[in-house]
Amino acid sequence: MPLVHRFADFLHDLQQLEKAAFPSQGPLILDAFTRHSPFDAGAVWLREVRGGGMRLAAKSQSCVAPEILDDDATPDGRVVVPIRTGKDNFGVVALLGDQATDEDLQMLKAAGAYLATVLNNQRLSQEMREGDFQLKYRLWELESLYDIGLSIAGTLNIDALADEILFRMISLINARRAALYLREGDRFRVYRSFGDTRSEFLDDEVTLQIVSAGEAITFGDGSECIFPGCFATVAVPIKGNNAIIGVLAAADRETRDGGIAAFEPNELRLLSLFANQVAIALENARLHKEALAKQAMEREMELAATIQRDILPKGLPKIEGIEVAALSKPAKQVGGDYHAFFEREGTLTTIVADVAGKSMPAALLVSAFHAALHLLFAEGRELGEIATELNRHLHNWSAENKFVTMILITIDPDAETLQFVNAGHNPCYVLTGGRIEQLKSHGLPIGILGSSRYMTQTRPFFAGSAVVLYSDGISEAENAAGEEFENERLETLLAAHANDSPAQIRDAIAAAVDAFVADAPQKDDQTLVIARTRPPVTTAPLT
Amino acid sequence: MSEELKVAVDRRPNGAILYTKGYINNVGGEEIANRAYELMDQGAKTLLLNLRETKIVNSIGISILIEIIEKMMEKEGAIAFCCLTPVILKTFHIMGLANYAKIFENEDSAVKELGLGN
Repeated sequence: MPLVHRFADFLHDLQQLEKAAFPSQGPLILDAFTRHSPFDAGAVWLREVRGGGMRLAAKSQSCVAPEILDDDATPDGRVVVPIRTGKDNFGVVALLGDQATDEDLQMLKAAGAYLATVLNNQRLSQEMREGDFQLKYRLWELESLYDIGLSIAGTLNIDALADEILFRMISLINARRAALYLREGDRFRVYRSFGDTRSEFLDDEVTLQIVSAGEAITFGDGSECIFPGCFATVAVPIKGNNAIIGVLAAADRETRDGGIAAFEPNELRLLSLFANQVAIALENARLHKEALAKQAMEREMELAATIQRDILPKGLPKIEGIEVAALSKPAKQVGGDYHAFFEREGTLTTIVADVAGKSMPAALLVSAFHAALHLLFAEGRELGEIATELNRHLHNWSAENKFVTMILITIDPDAETLQFVNAGHNPCYVLTGGRIEQLKSHGLPIGILGSSRYMTQTRPFFAGSAVVLYSDGISEAENAAGEEFENERLETLLAAHANDSPAQIRDAIAAAVDAFVADAPQKDDQTLVIARTRPPVTTAPLT
Repeated sequence: MSEELKVAVDRRPNGAILYTKGYINNVGGEEIANRAYELMDQGAKTLLLNLRETKIVNSIGISILIEIIEKMMEKEGAIAFCCLTPVILKTFHIMGLANYAKIFENEDSAVKELGLGN
């Protein structure tokens, strides 16, 4: 075959090396050089990376060749062909066999130069691709940090947020394992982890190191302080507005060769930046959770207030010979004050009660109490029986700590009597002429003890007398200094207004309590019910 | 959450669908590569990677996926992906995978367009 054709075939074979991976290049080179020259054996040494040594890449069976070849060494062989461009030495081909012609030697020399160009192109192409990859990777890191800011700041669900944080962190620093710890008192408890952690809480010593450092720190090779069986660990504090609110930890950075390595300074910086974003996101999620809880509480309070408003009397009873006034002033936080009126055969029955607790539970209990009371009254039962049945009902059907204090009275203007049951409630006042009397509690609050029996108390209630029922929101109303209004002030007031109409007495008490409390917030419901029977008709003496 | 990646293969007449579950990192990427190269050696020309149960991929995993794509391109075949999380989708776009591999929102549309039906 003419030399020119042999040379063209030779170059064509070498050209194919551009697509070959490094480990297969040596045998392909040796094959091309032995097929297109008179030599039938040899060895090839190649330099894998710039500046590295030349390693044996292929050799014929009959050939003895060293594994490593120094740059200035010349291998044994009839012909040695350097694979080099002007400045880069890619390797050497040593050939053994028959004597070659000058033409063959010229061809081999040219082939060596051509091969160097092919390898150089391949290497440049590889470097360009790696550079492109690194550039894109850095861009991805930046984009990720930006995205994390947007994404995790927009994620207000703490569970979803925790997953997002872990996934992003693992990707960013090529970690094999990671964990998010959140503060619980003085300790940090694992909230989410990818891979096992050594324990549920961070070690005190580890916590101290992380908190003291205030930034991303690494733990020594083989440290298993956070993850068991790991090689390298990194941890970074998550700094909230006033304190460290959590810790991010990761272990075992992956390398492309399949190994694991320690985290590098740029990864620590990246992790610190990431932790700043996480801190904002966690604070947002916490504030959101608090706002939701507050909203839920406000909704519950509104509902409770509605329930309570709906069951309180819309107006006053109109009974011949009895004048009535009432006040119901609920506190902002719904309490459990209750009052009601019943009319039966010219008598007035009224009740003032206070249910233990606040908000929805109290409102529900008031509602149940209201229903039971109306049923019992409709059955025509007397006060003691009503109280006894209410007590049994509440004791059986409500929680242990639920009870009701109440005062239930019936005024019979014709018989001039007042019947009452006071179950653990504030004493009520009876005003007769200039005299003030208290009707004190004579039984446990309703619902405390299932076996309690309540007896109706009866006393005279002369024409023109008044009765004042109230809840502890009146007598225990507090001013800014924490002082209570107290019964003494109430009694002084009642003495001063002993002969006034129920509405006047109500207004006087309300004004005095308001003046006493001033700007202090109203802590409890305030309820007043005042009833007075018509005074006896006085006839002028006949003259 | 599992650290280990699992790959399930559904062979189709013209190729295969590979279902991944877990972290595509070095180990996970190599697992996918081994299965993909096996299929390529058996003549598969179209491989669809369904990443529905993969939430994390790191840079090494991505470089391995790029190698798989390049190898398939040498064989004049095609690699495609479907069911990516928004984060992984964006990552693939930034890292250039989307330039050499088709990405589908769901498996049905991918199977239809790639001709991977049974």
